[in-house]
Amino acid sequence: MDFSLTEDQVVFKESAIKFAGQALNAGAKERENKGEFNREGWGKCADFGVQGLPMPEKYGGLGMDILTCIAAMEGLGYACRDSGLLFAINSHIWTCESPILKFGTDHQKDKYLPGLINGSMIGGHAMTEPDSGSDAFSMNCKAIKKGDRYFINGTKMFISNAPIADVLLVFAVTDAKKGFAGISAFIVEKGFPGFSVGKPLEMMGLKTCPMGEVILDDCEVPEENRLGKEGAGAAIFNSEMEWERSCLFANHVGAMEKNIEECINYAKTRHQFGKPIGKYQAISHKIADMRARLELSRLVLYKVAWLKAQGKRAPVESAIAKLFISESYVENCMEAIQIHGAYGYSKEMDLEKNLRDSIAGKIYSGTSEIQRNIIASFLGL
Amino acid sequence: MHILEKLENVFLTEIAVDLGKKSLDPGEDLLEQGILDSIGIMKLIVFIEENFGIKVEDEEIIPENFQSLSSMVTFVGQKMQNK
Repeated sequence: MDFSLTEDQVVFKESAIKFAGQALNAGAKERENKGEFNREGWGKCADFGVQGLPMPEKYGGLGMDILTCIAAMEGLGYACRDSGLLFAINSHIWTCESPILKFGTDHQKDKYLPGLINGSMIGGHAMTEPDSGSDAFSMNCKAIKKGDRYFINGTKMFISNAPIADVLLVFAVTDAKKGFAGISAFIVEKGFPGFSVGKPLEMMGLKTCPMGEVILDDCEVPEENRLGKEGAGAAIFNSEMEWERSCLFANHVGAMEKNIEECINYAKTRHQFGKPIGKYQAISHKIADMRARLELSRLVLYKVAWLKAQGKRAPVESAIAKLFISESYVENCMEAIQIHGAYGYSKEMDLEKNLRDSIAGKIYSGTSEIQRNIIASFLGL
Repeated sequence: MHILEKLENVFLTEIAVDLGKKSLDPGEDLLEQGILDSIGIMKLIVFIEENFGIKVEDEEIIPENFQSLSSMVTFVGQKMQNK
């Protein structure tokens, strides 16, 4: 068992760190305060290859293996101060591009993937509804087939990228009798009749990732835009969630590393009662615990990547990784603020922003409670 | 143990244990009855792959392959033949 990165992967990760530091951070504070999406940064990321990291070269992607993708995402998480942008990109990759690549017809791939990869199009998926969140498959949104078209009716809520998306993967019930197996997925373009987006929702964190409500009012979708077979929606959703839980949280691991470096630096240079605060165990033990959480987070992340690189399923491992990394990141952000005291609590530093951003990780891609449900279920409980 | 018996057993002992059933009708619609839910299907796929030595593609996780024990037996049998 060898989870170490190859030389090429290390070099690529370092290039991602350099890119993010140089290209994505200018004006991040102002965009955060205004809740503004960095469209220019989105384009720069596409030029660097971020949106196409795991996508085949045939469609303009870099064709990277999962561990290289994770290494790059770690690098971006380490250096990029705009977590909302990174979250928007990850939603785009794992909940739109990736399922189209895996389940799409050649026509669908040719039509959508090049634009999604080169940055000219923005994607996402629309699953959550006002009355269905953790119980995702209890959705009300319905798709009725008439001739060669589907007509979708319903409302989707808390949809990442909705206000800026050109295309969304919309999940809707096509056969209510079959429960989770009666759900299908549709590639819906923003210009389709009956499709509209409500005003952006203001959230606690990830403020630079636009989020909104999607209204489908007899939204007319050609049959050729159904992704996969009828009833394949749950499999598509589970597949994309497993990938998202495996890869998105690499950003958190990178951010945790940066956070710890800042804490170590502060603990060495901040003096109280005649010596650096890092010489007090009250501080050094906090940082030691933060380091331990980082190490374990990286290990569970790489374990999932290793499993998926071998084509193996990882429902429990990806749930463990998602649960552990997201909760560790929140704990580390809390400790970072405590170590920095009033400076940490102030908006002058990024530490309070990091905490607000980190809390979202316990909610999206399945809450911590749902991850525990999955793990417990596989234990026969 | 045959495919049908193994599948019925995993339903009765792990996936649908709360139902307290002693047997399942091979033709019973497990989706419409709510016996197979979204977490249950994840467990079932892992069980099938580990016990029958086949790889179930995500694209194959559709109602016609998992609607009943009978449809699962057909699906698994075909996959084993094509290994």
